[in-house]
Amino acid sequence: MEREREELERTWAHEKGWRRLLMETDHKLIAKRYIVTAFVFFLFGGIEAALMRIQLSRPDNHFLSPDKYNQIFTVHGTTMMFLFAVPIMTALGIYLVPLMIGARDVAYPRLNLYGYWVYLIGGLLLYTGFVLNTGPDAGWFAYVPLSGPGFSPGKRVDIWAQMITFTEISGLVGAIVIIGTVFKMRAPGMTLNRLPLFVWAQLVTSFMIIFAMPAVMLASSFLASDRLIDTHFFNPAEGGDAILYQHLFWFFGHPEVYIIFIPALGFISSIVAAFARTKIFGYTAMVLSLIATGFIGFGLWVHHMFATPIPQMGQSFFTAASMIITIPTGVQIFCWIATLWHGKLNIKTPLLFVFGFFAIFIIGGLTGVMLAAVPLDLQIHDTFFVVAHLHYVLIGGSVFPLFGAFYYWVPKWTGRMLSETLGRWSFALMFIGFNLVFFPMHQLGLSGMPRRVYTYLPESGWGTLNLIASIGAFVLAGGVLAFIVNFLWALRAGAIAGDNPWAADTLEWSVSSPPPPYNFHNVPVVQGRYALWESTPDAPVIRGLSTSKRETLVTSVLDAEPELRFEIPGPSIWPFMVALATGVTFIVGIFTPWAFLVGAILTGAALACWFFADPNYENRPAREHPERSRPVSPPAGLQPKEV
Amino acid sequence: MSNRNVIDVSSLPHHEFDTFDPVWWGNNGLLAIETSMFAILIATYFYLRQNFGLWPPPIAQLTAPLRPLPELGYGTANTILLVLACVPMIMADRAARRGDRRAAKIGLTICVVCGIVAMVLRGFEFSAVYFRWDSNAYGSVVWFLLGMHALHLLVLTSETVLLSVWLRVREFDMKHRVDIVTVAVYWYWVVAMWLIIYGIVYFTPRLDLRT
Repeated sequence: MEREREELERTWAHEKGWRRLLMETDHKLIAKRYIVTAFVFFLFGGIEAALMRIQLSRPDNHFLSPDKYNQIFTVHGTTMMFLFAVPIMTALGIYLVPLMIGARDVAYPRLNLYGYWVYLIGGLLLYTGFVLNTGPDAGWFAYVPLSGPGFSPGKRVDIWAQMITFTEISGLVGAIVIIGTVFKMRAPGMTLNRLPLFVWAQLVTSFMIIFAMPAVMLASSFLASDRLIDTHFFNPAEGGDAILYQHLFWFFGHPEVYIIFIPALGFISSIVAAFARTKIFGYTAMVLSLIATGFIGFGLWVHHMFATPIPQMGQSFFTAASMIITIPTGVQIFCWIATLWHGKLNIKTPLLFVFGFFAIFIIGGLTGVMLAAVPLDLQIHDTFFVVAHLHYVLIGGSVFPLFGAFYYWVPKWTGRMLSETLGRWSFALMFIGFNLVFFPMHQLGLSGMPRRVYTYLPESGWGTLNLIASIGAFVLAGGVLAFIVNFLWALRAGAIAGDNPWAADTLEWSVSSPPPPYNFHNVPVVQGRYALWESTPDAPVIRGLSTSKRETLVTSVLDAEPELRFEIPGPSIWPFMVALATGVTFIVGIFTPWAFLVGAILTGAALACWFFADPNYENRPAREHPERSRPVSPPAGLQPKEV
Repeated sequence: MSNRNVIDVSSLPHHEFDTFDPVWWGNNGLLAIETSMFAILIATYFYLRQNFGLWPPPIAQLTAPLRPLPELGYGTANTILLVLACVPMIMADRAARRGDRRAAKIGLTICVVCGIVAMVLRGFEFSAVYFRWDSNAYGSVVWFLLGMHALHLLVLTSETVLLSVWLRVREFDMKHRVDIVTVAVYWYWVVAMWLIIYGIVYFTPRLDLRT
């Protein structure tokens, strides 16, 4: 046993120094990096929000110039949607999915590493532009004609368009990694029917990413090529169409909301089961609701475009679909309430954030039903009412569950417990602060205050509510700060968490905190939906995987029957190199189309090296290559005896 | 510990073809992404058509043809070539499955030649469209459709080159036999996608779709 563990430790040991930084493929390491990076972008986005709130705190304020204000709201929205929300949701999946399904790593670790680097390059591109006063300024969805070559000269919008390319490549890569992992790497016994709801949520999200993100990549590529090489996709003078851009953007943009929201539903299911200390009510209904949300999410996009000339029949269809999608979400909320109802509640900070989600998200859902009605939408389109609605659904629907998830899983990630007292403070500050900022915006919108305008006149009478909102912004920031302090404090002085501080049910709680690089000493065999609650002492264990190679078990898609002993690709420099080549291609591509030719050659060369210079292949002992050197069998007298 | 039930997996293989191997799923995931990309691109093509009375639009030149429809020659030649190129790929696919290195090598080499010729023909196809990408929205979307497909031809041919080089300088190991079977799926997909794009670019302008 001990020798085996030592060999596993050696085989899966992380690289050291810069090699660890650039080459190590451990999914936990990559996910932690993703989470920290996305959280830093979240703080940047938050600072931009605070600047806007200072600007709007009183009428006729000149804290920010109109041009700065345009850049700041654009970069705020872009950061929060593309650099924070989607990556951090994927990141939690990359960390937790292999642990929850009993795998030693993801299915494509090198691809995973590539995804992170591409994402980082995209984020740096946006912020380099921003600090050089070349931040995009046409809104986070960069509508044409405003963002087209005629009205936005310079390179600001091009930076936005290429940032999209980077983040969408990374998002798509993450989706493939998660689908491959969920389908092929589950521990024996974990049939699809026993998949934790968290993993179901990640799976549905990944499929939505696959079908939604190509639309925005096309939209941004058309936009970039209209700007760089004079194509006419969105130029009405040559048969192009500005509304086409909105269709392409929102065909991605609306599913995007669900791409951010559905993983959060997975967090909530994990937290509710652990803190109600009981099985989730209506597992099948929950899974079907997730899948239904995934499908219906693609039938809503036109409700962002009710103010454009859409045929009335179309408007009615999209109104109906927008109302239908409340049904699966409602089913899930009732299932959680039923679970909490018959459970024995253990009210800790993660559960508080779930309660916060209920309150805030339901208000956001109700204004959503209001906005789905065309006549009302036309009245309050582009006002602060919409700002209030979208923050209620996105912060309520995603950020609150995300902070709940932080409080829930940080003990697993770091081995230390966060302070419960400080946790309650951070929840209270965030909840009160959030409602102070955004509730008054409903009224501001109804009384006509437009979005994306840098100031307003004293006669409008909007000053008081805006001041309340601005004060709320700082209360909310205080809550986030309390979390950061809590986290830093816990790293040094938090109580030791142990394997399973919450007595939770999923497999990640069966290993040490933080988990060893190889995740599981023995690949577990799953005996029920709630792996730890339903495992018996005589549960079988898997033997026969190599300890001297990074091997994991590959199982069948539906029933998780063992199929292969799969050697997981280990550390390699080439994912980083390919990411650099991708970066050169698209960043230089802002300035000249020739970059794509040079970039294609660079990327192709780097990929060829990835293919040929495979360290796994080169390090493999010669005896495993019968064609290179045949093993010499010892003479009969020297054969090892059966012991 | 010793009295626990043990499931011994040490006799399982390391690689197996098709749905067994994670690589197959990764490749199909890529194809799902690209299929939705082409679906949206084709939707864009027909969306833009609504803005035109005549599709493609007439050219205001005396020497220009009355209806500047894309010429069929190169596109049709390319279609025939790509469909025929499935034969060597099927050959390589089968050879990889039964472990016949020589046949796999021959199949892949023919495929590489076919891929290169198809890209050259694609170059001529662009000239058979009477517009440039910057002439009008019709030109933009047709160039984009042909171009995105050409990009896939390039990636696919490069992958085939890499695999056939591997077969020459390295081993015919199970991992790379699975790769050949997987790249074959990509090849069939590129051909199937082309049949759809060929029909749309070359023949739908010849139909009167006005209602």
